[in-house]
Amino acid sequence: MLDSSALIAHTARLDLVIRHVLAGLGHGIHAGRERGAGVEFSEYRAYAPGDEWRRVDWKLMARADRYFVREAERDSHVAVWLVLDATASMLEPSRAVPELTKLQYARVMLACVAALAQRQGDAFGLVVCQGERAHFTPAARGPRQLQRVLAQLNRTDAVGTLPGSDTLRASLHFSPAPSVVCVAGDFLDWPSPLSEAMLRLRRMRHDVRALCLQTEAEVQASFDPALAYRDPEQGSQVFRFGRDVRAAYVRNREAHFATVVSDCRQNDLPLLCARIEQAPGEVLRTWLRKAVRA
Amino acid sequence: MNSLWWWALPVLILPILWHRQKREQTKSAPLASARFLPVAQPKQLRVWRWSDPVLLLLRCLLLATLIALLADLVLPWRGDTVLVVPGTAPALVDKEAAGLKEARRMTLPDRDAVNWLHAHEREFKPEARLLVVGDVAMPATLPRFQHAVVLRSQAAAPAGVERHVAVFSGRPDAWRRLFAAPAGALRYVVDARPGPKTELIVWDLPEAPPAGIRAPLWWIGDARVFPELAKYKEAGRIRYADSARGRLWTMETWPLAGDDDAADDARALLAAWQRLQYPPQPFTAPPQVLTADAKAPAGPAGGALRDMLSIALLVLFALERIVTHVRRR
Repeated sequence: MLDSSALIAHTARLDLVIRHVLAGLGHGIHAGRERGAGVEFSEYRAYAPGDEWRRVDWKLMARADRYFVREAERDSHVAVWLVLDATASMLEPSRAVPELTKLQYARVMLACVAALAQRQGDAFGLVVCQGERAHFTPAARGPRQLQRVLAQLNRTDAVGTLPGSDTLRASLHFSPAPSVVCVAGDFLDWPSPLSEAMLRLRRMRHDVRALCLQTEAEVQASFDPALAYRDPEQGSQVFRFGRDVRAAYVRNREAHFATVVSDCRQNDLPLLCARIEQAPGEVLRTWLRKAVRA
Repeated sequence: MNSLWWWALPVLILPILWHRQKREQTKSAPLASARFLPVAQPKQLRVWRWSDPVLLLLRCLLLATLIALLADLVLPWRGDTVLVVPGTAPALVDKEAAGLKEARRMTLPDRDAVNWLHAHEREFKPEARLLVVGDVAMPATLPRFQHAVVLRSQAAAPAGVERHVAVFSGRPDAWRRLFAAPAGALRYVVDARPGPKTELIVWDLPEAPPAGIRAPLWWIGDARVFPELAKYKEAGRIRYADSARGRLWTMETWPLAGDDDAADDARALLAAWQRLQYPPQPFTAPPQVLTADAKAPAGPAGGALRDMLSIALLVLFALERIVTHVRRR
């Protein structure tokens, strides 16, 4: 398991990172309704990179000199939706670990969830909220979908602000079938179109799980007082940090997140606030367990 | 008038402003949770720092040199000076300049010392003493200078000047008499055949002159000999035209052709030639001491630094172009 989040900053290869994060974390998000691969044979399909070797039909390979995979009849009815908040504020760097941002951390978390979903045979899709738009990757199964989602996550850059609530309503309009919605973001805007969409999905009986990413510096309220600060998403106003305003900062921030937590609790929406300096494997496990408990 | 160009010096502000770096805000970093902080007034920093200082320096120097060239910059650099009119005896100069032993001696280009001094007065330091020795030409009015100028003028004996004349005429004696008449310092030498020194040829023969003869001026007795005289112009009673051999003069009734009464016309021709070719020599100025007059008008163009400034301008321009090109790449 990946112990330190510093390693996230060192590679752009999401597949490598999730292999490390998921080591020893084989159990999935939810109890699969089907028994595993190949219970009831449905069809053969050409091998694709990422398929498990044990699912390759070796007799058929000996006959046809090609790899084929036994596709089993195991339609999980659970779709996993990964929602990534990729607005400009997600570029907030960890001021302790160099080159680590909230966006990188969120990306790794969602990639791990996607890999878990793929292992379980669930369909999964991706919604990236970025630059006033929602980029939508439809839900599907299989290793290719995992690669597609990982590539999309890798491509994602943090720009702009959240899309409007109408856009989000159109993008996050799922079938009434039960689905798991994993949202990773900083939730600095609350209420926001994203929060409304989350609460709405929760009321629609979807399993919504939120991961609120924070940095050590934000929690400790320790910023460089020599610098002036500006909000990456709002205007050109300049903010000042100093010892005199530290208490006000802590008070404002705690009040804000108290609202967030209470809103989530009222709607029975599991929320995990994690610092990006924490080990990603630990955070992932806590997030999934919290959800199961909830 | 030229010094008005110094008012163009504020143009130097332009490159300085162009090269000045843009105003910088207080360094600000993005902070996602900045909304929990109180708003501060943004601080503006005016940074007086320049980009490409070498190029800025070159451009400023270029402009300053150009203005200095246009304004005809003159730096006072001459100290005590003894100005010697050409042709003055060195013994006289030594005697007159006894009080200015360490002064620099310089020979003037001509006798008109007052005019030269007026043009170059700005080159002399304010405390410089000036002594002019020799046959100084007398100016029309009393000169005024910002320096005290001592004129030690002494009339020089007029040097004998010879003018060579060639006469081809049926009556050469009459012409010789004309040229033999005394004319001050001038002396006419009548040559039998024209040489390179010949300044005038009198051609009073009915046939055309041989091809090789040339002179600046011809006096023609029979205008039919020179076809160029068919299209003459007239100045007074003299008809003139230009030809490949030189300028041709003739008159309607040619003097010294028939009787001696026309000798006056010949003298008029001679006088016209002298007046046109050889202006009268000015008188010698009386020796005197010209007191310094602070209100005396400064002389016109000095031009002493013009060559240096032009070369500097050229070099600076080339350097500026090179540096600009290098910066663009």
